[in-house]
Amino acid sequence: MNPTATAMDPEKILRDLRDLWARLAQDRDGAGGVLRACSMTLIVVAEPDDEADAETARKTIGVLMHVHPSRAVVLTPRESGEFSARVFAECWMPFGGQQQICSEGIEITADSEQTDEVARLLVPLIAPDLPVVLWCRGPRAFLDRSLDPLFPLANKIIFNTRAVRHPSSAIEFLRRMRKEGGKGRRQVADLAWTRLTGWREAVAHLMDACPGGWLAAASGEVRIEYGGGRPGTRSLYFARWIERALPGVNVTLIPVAGGPGVHSVVFAGCGSETSIRLGEGSSLEVRTAERSYSAVLPPDSEECLMREELSILGRDPVFERVLG
Amino acid sequence: MTDSNPFADPLRFERQVPECAIVIFGANGDLTKRKLIPSLYRLAYERRLPATVSIIGTSRTPLSDDEFRSKMHDSVKEFLEDSPFDEDQWAGFAKGLHYIAGDLSDPKLYSAIKDKLTALGRTNVLYYLSTQPSYYGEVVERLGAAGLGHTTTQGWQRIVVEKPFGHDLASARELNERIHKVFDEADVYRIDHYLGKETVQNILAFRFGNGIFEPLWNRRYVNHVQITAAESIGVEGRGAYYEEAGAVRDMIQNHLLQVMATVAMEPSAVYEPDAVRDERAKLLRSIRIMHPEEVPSHAVAGQYAGYRHEPAVNPTSQTPTYAAATFYVDNWRWAGVPFYIRSGKKLPKRTTEIAIQYNTAPHALFTPDAGGVIMRPNLLILRIQPEEGISLRFLSKQPGSGMRLRPVSMDFNYGSSFGERSPTAYETLLEDALTGDATLYTRQDMVEASWRVVTPILEDWANRKFEFPNYDPGTWGPAAADDMLARHGHKWRNS
Repeated sequence: MNPTATAMDPEKILRDLRDLWARLAQDRDGAGGVLRACSMTLIVVAEPDDEADAETARKTIGVLMHVHPSRAVVLTPRESGEFSARVFAECWMPFGGQQQICSEGIEITADSEQTDEVARLLVPLIAPDLPVVLWCRGPRAFLDRSLDPLFPLANKIIFNTRAVRHPSSAIEFLRRMRKEGGKGRRQVADLAWTRLTGWREAVAHLMDACPGGWLAAASGEVRIEYGGGRPGTRSLYFARWIERALPGVNVTLIPVAGGPGVHSVVFAGCGSETSIRLGEGSSLEVRTAERSYSAVLPPDSEECLMREELSILGRDPVFERVLG
Repeated sequence: MTDSNPFADPLRFERQVPECAIVIFGANGDLTKRKLIPSLYRLAYERRLPATVSIIGTSRTPLSDDEFRSKMHDSVKEFLEDSPFDEDQWAGFAKGLHYIAGDLSDPKLYSAIKDKLTALGRTNVLYYLSTQPSYYGEVVERLGAAGLGHTTTQGWQRIVVEKPFGHDLASARELNERIHKVFDEADVYRIDHYLGKETVQNILAFRFGNGIFEPLWNRRYVNHVQITAAESIGVEGRGAYYEEAGAVRDMIQNHLLQVMATVAMEPSAVYEPDAVRDERAKLLRSIRIMHPEEVPSHAVAGQYAGYRHEPAVNPTSQTPTYAAATFYVDNWRWAGVPFYIRSGKKLPKRTTEIAIQYNTAPHALFTPDAGGVIMRPNLLILRIQPEEGISLRFLSKQPGSGMRLRPVSMDFNYGSSFGERSPTAYETLLEDALTGDATLYTRQDMVEASWRVVTPILEDWANRKFEFPNYDPGTWGPAAADDMLARHGHKWRNS
């Protein structure tokens, strides 16, 4: 019979972790030992029964640990009821360094119906006194309530609404989560919002470079072009962000051909137009009445987005304003 | 990004360096090739500089733009710290490198710089004085005469001045006056690269970001403070410079007094450039100025055996390669707490650290008779280099029977807690200057206050004849430095 979450002993997992560190120290015998680094607990929930997604999660965590060393817990839900746990370490040698740095991880496979039990199991596995970040990789959190028992464990929950079917409902869900979390107690983030940083930065710099430019924009209208047939959460966030920054301005979302996401933003006011358009590769083409230039969009790989989110463990007032 | 920008998001957006030019005077020198260009390259690599940034190097040596680029290419490859070199990235960065050969005393050099800036369309300019200090005043005056150096509505003009800022209080004041004829104080960035080090900045985070340390950061709990900057190397071909400077001017007047100010200053109300600098300046002004008769007991000079045989060094040199001093801060927080500062060359190892020694427990519960206990005071070590971090030494029970206590150390290692590479001091400071953030730069009043602190020592030593050399390479300096602490019942932390 397969073990169940209730049958699993967290003490055993912690013992395995201790043994792992003892082994790592022995392996490096005579080479100065390894440095154990941990700045948070990062719980990652992979998509149910999706080994490829779990593998991607593990790889992403491996990269993230170099910047945000953590005790990582990768949770893969299964329909089968099988439960298993194993511990692992991610080690790296810093450039020019003499001593290896290692972070620890725990991989847990559990019945997708047993999240309650898994949440109880996770409590003693959380690194004490450090922040806990929960990363829900897929859209499952928006489809059913099976992940709800995990939410109270976290100081910050990172979602990804990129692939949700109902963007407005997803945003409403995040707004509720934020309000339920209370001010400063539990933060909510969305990688769809993180993907907008490059766009938002380009807008902010444009306004800085054109004194009075935003005043002109505030008196006119803003047009956001998006692809993918319907406005996704990114386009909706972008529109709300502009509305919050320029109260009273008329922001219109316009569909265009092409892939999902924001394609352009045009500020029209005082007889002139200023635009930022998606260029070739990962660049933005900025055009004002006086000049044109390109801005480079930051990479939007999962690890880059997560790296940004894990750097913000406190309140994110701008995103909170956008969520409302 | 301006505060009034409704789109600002300081949590997520990088600070933006505007389109600008950096003009380096002394572009053929060591500092440019070892620190400045590698730091600028690294900033460009991390996209912290605009792609259009122009860097104009000037020096007397005739070089074409391409020759300068090739030279800098080799330097960056050699001196880039904790970071790989990327040829493709270099190719893009090198396009912005330009070179103008000329004599610093020749007005034509400044006309050529002006023409180049006009041709490049750059109105924001950062001038970097990396020449011999004796040229600082002249370069600034000639910039002014050429119509350069004044911030206008078209763009800013800032100047970074390397240390030493003067060789005494009078010359520092004179240099300030000459600079202020061309640049406003707000546009003068006096660099002290120690303040750009992550660990020095971390002192403020440690003290004022945590609730548990600051209540213990005063005369009631702190017995004394030791600040050490030790180098294992000698003057390494810089004999001529060192003969003029010596250990006090080279390290104590600038770096170590700034570090001391950071350790001992009061918290500012806000983390803004002038608020933080006001507190640093206030602390520097609170350091008790020694009376001339106090100098022999409060300061120790040393010179390592063999220094007089170094190239460009006077065979009867009286220049100290080691200096130690006891300072007191006359304020409520620190009254009566000695701050011991020392710096020297050819010491056993390279290390810079601050050791804060706390008072011992008021009652010795665990006496040596009751189990061979070694009672030692708690020690908080802030390590600045080479292994940046913080350690706290405290006593713990030794496992086993009886109540034997043993000192143990609780360590925080900067590198392992943040996997991310830390920017070098020059990267931090250059980016700060380009974005107009002067928090980590010293101000005129700070420079003058620190000169005032060391003036009695310099004057006394200038009139004394020392029995040099008085310490062997590889030792911790002259015995007199140990005696200076022993008189107070203290001992240098030599480890």
